[in-house]
Amino acid sequence: MIEIQGLRKSFKTRSGGIVAVDGVSFAARDGEITGLLGPNGAGKTTTLRMLYTLMAPDEGRVLVDGLDPMVQPGDVRRRLGVLPDARGLYKRLTARENIAYFGRLHGLDEAGIRARTERLGAALGMQDFIDRATEGFSQGQRTKTAIARALVHDPRNVVLDEPTNGLDVMTTRALRRFLAELKAEGRCVLFSSHIMQEVAALCDRIVVIAHGRVVAEGTPDELRARTGRSNLEDAFVQVIGSEEGLFA
Amino acid sequence: MSAWWIVMRKELLDAFRDRRMVLMAFLLMPVAVPLLIAGLGTIGAKRQAEKLEKTLELPVIGAERAPNLVAWLGTHDVDVMPPPADPDAAVRAQEHAVILRIDPAYAEDWRAGRPAAVELIYDSSRPMQSGTTIARVRALLGGYDRQVGTLRLIARGIHPSVMQPLRVGDRDVATPDARFDFAQQMLPYLLLLLAFIGGMQLAIDATAGERERQSLEPLLATPASREAVISGKILATAVFTLLSVLTTLVMFRVVFALMPSAYADLSMDVPWTSFAQLLVVVLPIVLLGATVLTALAAFARSHREAQGYLPLLMFLPMLPTLYLMVSPVKTQLWMLAVPFLGQNQMILRILRSERMTAAEWALSLGAGSLLVLAVWWIAARLYHREQLAASG
Repeated sequence: MIEIQGLRKSFKTRSGGIVAVDGVSFAARDGEITGLLGPNGAGKTTTLRMLYTLMAPDEGRVLVDGLDPMVQPGDVRRRLGVLPDARGLYKRLTARENIAYFGRLHGLDEAGIRARTERLGAALGMQDFIDRATEGFSQGQRTKTAIARALVHDPRNVVLDEPTNGLDVMTTRALRRFLAELKAEGRCVLFSSHIMQEVAALCDRIVVIAHGRVVAEGTPDELRARTGRSNLEDAFVQVIGSEEGLFA
Repeated sequence: MSAWWIVMRKELLDAFRDRRMVLMAFLLMPVAVPLLIAGLGTIGAKRQAEKLEKTLELPVIGAERAPNLVAWLGTHDVDVMPPPADPDAAVRAQEHAVILRIDPAYAEDWRAGRPAAVELIYDSSRPMQSGTTIARVRALLGGYDRQVGTLRLIARGIHPSVMQPLRVGDRDVATPDARFDFAQQMLPYLLLLLAFIGGMQLAIDATAGERERQSLEPLLATPASREAVISGKILATAVFTLLSVLTTLVMFRVVFALMPSAYADLSMDVPWTSFAQLLVVVLPIVLLGATVLTALAAFARSHREAQGYLPLLMFLPMLPTLYLMVSPVKTQLWMLAVPFLGQNQMILRILRSERMTAAEWALSLGAGSLLVLAVWWIAARLYHREQLAASG
């Protein structure tokens, strides 16, 4: 369970300050997939970064299973599996070694790491390349390794920032099936995307963000009903106010 | 397992799989540094010996005015040559190290028993190239001067010792190990330089490289604290550097053992216990280097920017050597607390087989550790900055 309450974050730039996140509140429940939808630059990544303790909010707070990242950062990180926007691997290590490194940092023992790596490798279809050094991996192989690395400690809450970025259709489909499995296991899955078909196909709840604010929230049906549009695409464009950044 | 230990192991594994990094640290540096010192030292010693033994070519202006002097020089391995048209220009152009000019009134003064003037034309701004030759000509002229003076005194029935109220003798108390030669002057600097920035590739790669390859953000999202992450990276750099320094020291012994014994002056024949002491002396510098490099890599916005600071870092270990060059002073206790200066002094003393007291060891290691802790604290603060990982 992830709760976000009145989150605000601004950055200083040379030309003054910009408010990246301006009072964002929403909740992502266990056993559901919550989609954070918004155009590029809407504040999705900054919101998620405050959630996984990389940044401190100016105002508001985050609760992960009732714990505040500002108070118990270590416990919060243990409860989160995070696939950040930045998902670089260690190119001189194999995929398995990349995963094991994060497993050890999460405090798992070697037997536990081996078992989890087998399960995730099977679920993500990594058998062919898991023992290869990651240098020269395709985008899909890199993303799968990064996801396995993020979930090695079997977290209750899974946060993925634009997980399907740069993936081909086959890999995207495999990833969607995998997210559905996570949901079926009762986990709380929160992922961000700027592609509405993806959010519409997968999510139980959708949080639409634009210009650092939540502009709409609800199930796909609720969103359609609220905007009076039968087509989700039109509904999104209406709540965001423009088509800018949606199709990038 | 503690997080710092996990991070350190991973960084070392990563580094040892980087063939270029390993070649650089364990083959190139350990072989190149001793060879450089041995080679330069040998060439220097050889040239010095040649200058002393080779027939000296000496242009003499007005040789006909002092036939006896010229003949005497000829019997002392000097080849008297006709002078160039413009002696001053020739010396400045380094065509000749030194030119001897015999005064036009030489013969007249000589016969009258007055001091006869001879003049040496040389360029004192080039002591390295012509110093030995000038000293040799001066010594020859002095010898001729004394010889003729003695003969004149005897001719007048005076004992030559009248002119020698003092007899100055030399007794050199330097132990054979303490002779200061080229190798021993260069060694502390090179050793400290290697200890300080030998791990630069690893340190910069582990922080600036990790950030550029976008793996720092996921790493910082694990439960490992930033202090643990940075400590692991610093210790990995230190271990790697220390292994490289150790290899270099061993290679020093090997290279110098293979040197022809004619240049035994360059002996590095220090006992193995001294090697252990050298490692302990450089340990604070190794840790300091690893910490400074990691802090720098966290501060810099990119790999390139971090590497831009390297010339500055290379200059730091040079400072004590320069300081001792302009003001050679006796070792004082406080100097041991100054990084680089203290280590420089201690390395020289170990090479001279001098013993150090427990207080001196404690001061050197204590001051070094305090400095490392201070820089570690700065590095950890830099790792807490939000810009560190979230640069995208």
